[in-house]
Amino acid sequence: MKNVIAFIEHKNGQARRVSLEAASAARTVADLLGGTAHAVIVGGDAAAVAAQLAAYPLDAIHVLADATTDKLIDPAVDALSVVAGAAGPSLILVGNTMIGRDVGSRFAARVDAGLNADVTEIRVDAGRVACVSPKLGGLSITTCAFKSDYGVAAIRPNVFAAKPGAGQAEIVAIAPLGKTYASVVEDEVEEVAPELGVEEASVVVSGGRGMGGPEPFKTILKDLADALGGAVGASRAAVDAGWISHGHQVGQTGKTVSPQLYIAVGISGAIQHKVGMRTSQTIVAINKDGGVPIGEFADLLVVGDAFAIVPELAKQVRDAKAVHA
Amino acid sequence: MKLVPDTNADKRIDPATKRLVRSGVETVLNPFDEYAIEAGLQLKEKLNDGSTVTIVSMAPESGKEIVRKALAMGADNAVMLSDQALAGSDVWGTAYALAAAIRKGGFDLVLTGTQSTDANTGDLPGALAEYLGVPGLTYARKIEVADGRVRVQRETETGYQTLSAPLPALASITKSAAEPRYPSLKGIMGAKKKEIALLRVADLELTKPVGGDGAKVELLELAAPPVRGKGQVVTAADAVDGAKRIIDFLKERKLL
Repeated sequence: MKNVIAFIEHKNGQARRVSLEAASAARTVADLLGGTAHAVIVGGDAAAVAAQLAAYPLDAIHVLADATTDKLIDPAVDALSVVAGAAGPSLILVGNTMIGRDVGSRFAARVDAGLNADVTEIRVDAGRVACVSPKLGGLSITTCAFKSDYGVAAIRPNVFAAKPGAGQAEIVAIAPLGKTYASVVEDEVEEVAPELGVEEASVVVSGGRGMGGPEPFKTILKDLADALGGAVGASRAAVDAGWISHGHQVGQTGKTVSPQLYIAVGISGAIQHKVGMRTSQTIVAINKDGGVPIGEFADLLVVGDAFAIVPELAKQVRDAKAVHA
Repeated sequence: MKLVPDTNADKRIDPATKRLVRSGVETVLNPFDEYAIEAGLQLKEKLNDGSTVTIVSMAPESGKEIVRKALAMGADNAVMLSDQALAGSDVWGTAYALAAAIRKGGFDLVLTGTQSTDANTGDLPGALAEYLGVPGLTYARKIEVADGRVRVQRETETGYQTLSAPLPALASITKSAAEPRYPSLKGIMGAKKKEIALLRVADLELTKPVGGDGAKVELLELAAPPVRGKGQVVTAADAVDGAKRIIDFLKERKLL
């Protein structure tokens, strides 16, 4: 494979951050391969998103501006196939997100491509592309090389840097696909204010059994997450108790996250939770019990009353940020 | 459904062999797949039109008793795709072979978990749908079948979509969709009599090589992650002190 194609997810006319990271990684890897870097954007807002991508050092931005394709996976796979077919053997970068995994896996099956998920590093050695991924919740780190002509790498959000730079990309229109799709999106409901999910946030503030009920997730944890510009996460115990929805769950049966800062509040740190967050860059825990397992791998464990410390911490974070402002 | 090492065991990698230490770690049904099985059983009960639930698993024959557990939950029969030739399969090969096995039996609706607790790629449902040539309704937190269509609430990062498609189709089921039932005593007894058919690669008429040889990715290296040492433990005198210690720490790490 020689060229690199980033599949761009977008919402409300804005590219997702992980897609900007993918576009930046596409350039870096394409240079190592001596090939070209591309982006593929599909949907009613594709032109506006392309304008945003123009600030990235890509060779071509392929656009299928068609509102009828919005929210569907199949047309995205079709458009990607068109671009990949023209580009020849290439590496496809998608975000390791719900949509990215769907598009990437369907594309891979279509062209018999190898798949690497949750990629944290891409290596090129003598023209061969290999992906580094944590497996078993960060227990082992695998490096897997592609043996196929095409390869798909789903990159973990927050790991690759989004680097705008001298963009000279040619905007290329993808010819209308002229297909109809069996799947119909009947409606779409936003249940929470548009915010970063735990997988993409650079700061995650999670609550566990020690929160005692749903309230703290909406009040003190949310407030601290807001102060830090982060997202609210939860342990399985909190989700199983119905205090917060499953989308927030961090751990073995939830999401795997690796933010710059992970704050665990009232979470003991059982193995089921640990595997979902142990690759976080910095881990801070607040717990009333100094003997909890999370103390064995947190960078800092503060023993005390979380209900008092968390609001105070939010206040001090805002004060500290105000000094810088 | 997939068989995986027990979720709750603290698994470790043998530094010498660079393989998962299996001793003392039980093999279990992938927890994510239990939601799919439960959703399938509920659909069957609701439809009550003679629909059946078949378990399909690509696993060594030694996993038979775990497959039987799914039968004890209420599934009608099971097919195990067991063949030494499949050892070393990657996601691509797994989807390719499973699709062939599923097509052989015929289907209206394929239900999967959203991911597995071991490889955790989340790539199987999409690849499987593509090989089966059917719509893929992934991350379903609610599912219903009526008038030849399947309708799901598909989870998104911020809410959900209502998505529908004609059968045959594939849906991956999330934890929110269904609380898996425990097998009843009657179910356990009944499962002993249910058939678990064995399929070999030769039964599938595959045109592409599978197993390690056919895999599209090759493992170059398996390493242990850097060890995360025990950090500081401090006791907060009060809320202000506790918060200040965290602030100082974040500043020291240039996180603030």
